[in-house]
Amino acid sequence: MTMRRRIRRVLWATIVAGALLVGSAPAASAHGERAQEAFLRMRTVAWIDTTFSRTTVRQGETFTITGTAKILDAWPTRLAAGNPNTGFMGIIAPGPVVLLKERTINGVSVPTRIDIRRGGIYEFSMTVAGRRPGRWHVHPSFSVKGAGTLLGPGEWITVEENPDGFTNDVQLVGGGTVNLENYQLTPVWIWLILTFLIGLAWMIYWTVPKRTVTNLAVTSQIPLNTDGMEYGLITKKDHRNMNWFVIGTILLLAVGWIWQSAAFPDKLPQQIIQFAPPEPAIASAPVLAEAGVGTARYDSASDTMTIETEITNRSQEPINLTQFTTTTLRWTTGSAAGPGTVQVAPDSTIEPGSAPTPVTLTIKDPAWEAEHLVPIGESQLLISGVMVFETADGQVNFTELEANLQPRFE
Amino acid sequence: MAVDSKTLELRQLVNKKYKYIDRKWDAVFWITAAFVVGAAADITKQLFAGDWDFWTDWKDRQWWPIITPFAIIIIGSALQYIQWLAWRFPTGMTYTAVCMFLCTLIGRWLQWGAFVYYPMNFVWPATMVAAAIFADWVLLKTKSFVLTSVIGGILFAVTWWISNYIPMAPFLQPAQWMDRVVTVADVQGIEYVRSQTPEYLRIIESGSLRTFLGETQYVSLVFGATVAVAGYWVGQFIGRGLAIWPIGRFMKKW
Repeated sequence: MTMRRRIRRVLWATIVAGALLVGSAPAASAHGERAQEAFLRMRTVAWIDTTFSRTTVRQGETFTITGTAKILDAWPTRLAAGNPNTGFMGIIAPGPVVLLKERTINGVSVPTRIDIRRGGIYEFSMTVAGRRPGRWHVHPSFSVKGAGTLLGPGEWITVEENPDGFTNDVQLVGGGTVNLENYQLTPVWIWLILTFLIGLAWMIYWTVPKRTVTNLAVTSQIPLNTDGMEYGLITKKDHRNMNWFVIGTILLLAVGWIWQSAAFPDKLPQQIIQFAPPEPAIASAPVLAEAGVGTARYDSASDTMTIETEITNRSQEPINLTQFTTTTLRWTTGSAAGPGTVQVAPDSTIEPGSAPTPVTLTIKDPAWEAEHLVPIGESQLLISGVMVFETADGQVNFTELEANLQPRFE
Repeated sequence: MAVDSKTLELRQLVNKKYKYIDRKWDAVFWITAAFVVGAAADITKQLFAGDWDFWTDWKDRQWWPIITPFAIIIIGSALQYIQWLAWRFPTGMTYTAVCMFLCTLIGRWLQWGAFVYYPMNFVWPATMVAAAIFADWVLLKTKSFVLTSVIGGILFAVTWWISNYIPMAPFLQPAQWMDRVVTVADVQGIEYVRSQTPEYLRIIESGSLRTFLGETQYVSLVFGATVAVAGYWVGQFIGRGLAIWPIGRFMKKW
């Protein structure tokens, strides 16, 4: 076989392999959250009771995402220098397939970023409108300056086409509404195309009637700081015509400037809004429970995480451990082992008293591995999360739990 | 006036008919180079000033007029040197502007519109053409790269701002939104979800005790014009050093 044929075969094989590789790749339906290190996801932001009000909406119809995000006291010192102070709660979706119409945190509207702090609790509500028809995976997200974006629990949202059409209206202060889907699109394009046409005309002037490549024979023999007028490279007529081009450009800019001044007399610079939202009631509620540093063991054969810890009930009444949550996952207390359930032994009710009560949390759930949450092989062997305690009269408390993972090397 | 023989010889050369080098070669050059020049200019712009060019809520009066003229004058300056040196055409900056506009237009429409559904009125690209015409005109008039860098660089930055403030103006109108008054551009920036781009990453005017009489825009324009002059010489360095034959000599030297 000749070298040429070999090369051709290798080339064809590469093209076919590449096509097969690309063609067989499944569509991405996640946002990379599993790629983040487990111990960082578990020690940064806890998501409690995240709820989507609807999973099917028409274009323009809204649904709400509500819940509570807690920045853990266990926040790693290596992220945001251990001092998270600026945060942004948003939405993660495959592009602007949905629109964020309203966002409240701890009861107040939050257009953009907020001041945050370690241990802070943020009760959020985001009103989201469907925009692009399709089925989209949507998450709430909490971004922390200096750290990155942490994702909350996601949900598949179906956006159906609205037969009545779709607009995204915004109220102007000066009166009237504008549809952001196409607002001022035509004037913007007209302006961009007009300026482009002037540039194109300039280029055509120089390149179509005049020769290009062969000019080098002359330009290589004359100084750089001359226009070659005496040789006919650039003429007085060229100078005159270019002056007209510049005058035309100035006139166009003047007309544009007058138009924008007259059409939009009231203008603002873009706004930066940052403030500390008020503390929610739960933040000032009396501490119900404290948890000691626990020990965690993971059995991969049975997908079971077992966490042993000691809980001290600081209140005057029994408290009930109702939920354990970490990153995007939540397990509610129950008796049957399985996904979504945390079994608490000897009892999920902790009696008051100064003595700590030993408690074992058992969670049998393939999600531990599916979500890459067992940090074996990472630089911190920790399982962290939030235990939700409730009293009989409805008081709620969040208690952080941190447990050292005892890996089992099989 | 008597004309020397060298001048006559060069005049004849300008109009000489070549057997093998016809106008097709001119067309081949201009068309093929358009993709390279457009891509180089667009990539340079994206590296230095990507977000300011992508989003209306980044197109502010402080950073946008400083960062973007610097970023986009670089490749235009290199092309200006090359096209003036080789063909005595004052076209380098305009050629770059036209090519970049076409590349950016295709990219913006396909990548941002068709693939990820952003409305084009949120992600329209800035135009460099008017600014480029002024810079090329200054070179034609002065025949000097030093003067072009100073006069042309300043004119470039100022014209660039004027020509882009005009399409930006509608998006700076005040709107009532989430219990606040913000600009239409701000609303676009929050409503149209930008995953993995939290709002606090937005680098726009945030105020400073050092702001001169609150006239941020004029201070930025002056500074933007200054850095555009610097950017012009970055482009000259590229044009004079890398893009002119023999490249090998330059590479060995450095």
